[in-house]
Amino acid sequence: MTRAQDALPKAVAAHRWLQSLRLRPNLVTPGVVGEAHLLAEEEAIFGPLNLSGAHVLEVGAANGYLSFAALRRGATRVLATDHLAWTLPGADAQAATELAAREMGLGIETMALDPRALTAEFGKFDVVVATAFFEQLFNPIAALRGLRAVTTRLLLIETLQDAQDDGRPVMMAQTLPMPFGGPSGAMVPGWAPNPPAVLHLLHTLGFSRILYRNHPTLGSQRGIFAALLPAAPEGVLEGFGEPWINLTHPKG
Amino acid sequence: MDQPKTSLSYDELLARMQQIHWFHSIALRPGLTTFGPKTELILAHEEQALLGCLDLHGRTVLDIGAWNGHFSFAAKRRGAARVLATDSYTWTHPHFKGQESFELARAELGLEIDTQLIDPTEITGDLGLFDVVLFLGVFYHLFDPIDVIQRLRSVTGQVLMIETHQDALEKTRPGMVFYPGTTLGGDATNWWGPNPPLMLSLLKQIGFARVMYREYPGEVMYRGLYAAFTPEADPAIAAGFGVEWRDLEAPGVLDSLVVAA
Repeated sequence: MTRAQDALPKAVAAHRWLQSLRLRPNLVTPGVVGEAHLLAEEEAIFGPLNLSGAHVLEVGAANGYLSFAALRRGATRVLATDHLAWTLPGADAQAATELAAREMGLGIETMALDPRALTAEFGKFDVVVATAFFEQLFNPIAALRGLRAVTTRLLLIETLQDAQDDGRPVMMAQTLPMPFGGPSGAMVPGWAPNPPAVLHLLHTLGFSRILYRNHPTLGSQRGIFAALLPAAPEGVLEGFGEPWINLTHPKG
Repeated sequence: MDQPKTSLSYDELLARMQQIHWFHSIALRPGLTTFGPKTELILAHEEQALLGCLDLHGRTVLDIGAWNGHFSFAAKRRGAARVLATDSYTWTHPHFKGQESFELARAELGLEIDTQLIDPTEITGDLGLFDVVLFLGVFYHLFDPIDVIQRLRSVTGQVLMIETHQDALEKTRPGMVFYPGTTLGGDATNWWGPNPPLMLSLLKQIGFARVMYREYPGEVMYRGLYAAFTPEADPAIAAGFGVEWRDLEAPGVLDSLVVAA
């Protein structure tokens, strides 16, 4: 073991980790979320896509698991961003993410970013992905507008859901303990929509084809939405087989 | 009613009135009332419910979404030292001609009221701090009411008065219904229907210390009135709040507002 390798466990232990990232064959960051869960989420979100050559923006990256996955799957540019987990007093998740990037030799970019501040001037990304989206945002409407402004083809949203027995588009407000980063005991005001609410919000913002699937391990408690802009080539849909449901163009 | 404040003849004033689509029925002269679907009686009830509980003498008032101006005029008549009437959508709408209607009524009533053409989505603290902010019939017309309610906090010195369509009344937890397209009332400008727990939650989280609620006068279930007080609010400004106003954080109040599905 080299000196540098010897120092890595100490460097890892100096951070709090949400995600379990395998930095070495025998070294995994002690994340709250395990590797199996992350892998299942990655496959559900990125599995249907061909990311070769894509520019990808991740919003709410935590420790960057999906950003690293996007790079490994062929994306040529990946910008990992987070807001609360990277900026609250005591939060060190951005530094932890950058440590992981260095260690794995994966050249992602990082930036602390409030998605409400996104405008078209920020840049354009073929694919934008945001996990734990509604539940950690006081204003997800403004954030969705921000994501729309920088998306050229596909927006992927993963979120906590609620009011699923209600046929109307509904968003329920809630305040939950912050799962990661920030002061101990910090609470985060946010929302949990039902699928009709996400569908119609995305449609109103200009996404023309919207697909949905339940979370791969947590079922309908959480949902994943894939929203395509009219400019996205038809071929983008080819990988979206079952269990994806096309909400805007249902079969039959 | 005072003597006419403009030199318009009866026929000239009537002709001007007929060129405008009115929302508020405002008595401009004896025998000349604007032709709004909101009748004088409805407006009188709304005004009493919203302004009758406030001591406006010497206060500054901001009216957001003033349209034809009934509530701006009412605030001035009730003693407000300064009233700033604002609007954008109806004031610039080619059919509604809201600003023209407001100016005609203001001139005819001879009331000293400031105006500013500004959309609620553009309001910032630069507009100034007002004792009383009126936000009547606007919340549900906003695609992003969360952003606007945060903006309103920055201009509210004492109390924010809200009148809104509401929905999800069968739910005990905070939530709001989204209306895509023309779902609500065939009107594409209707976006959200919040329930009382949601209004309480939103208003408390952006820094209001106390939120009072009362039913819309006339037992219209799907509209509600809210008064949100800043921590700095002068207790005297709320002295007139009667039993019809209830503190949303008092035990049992939110539960009592739940409507069976």
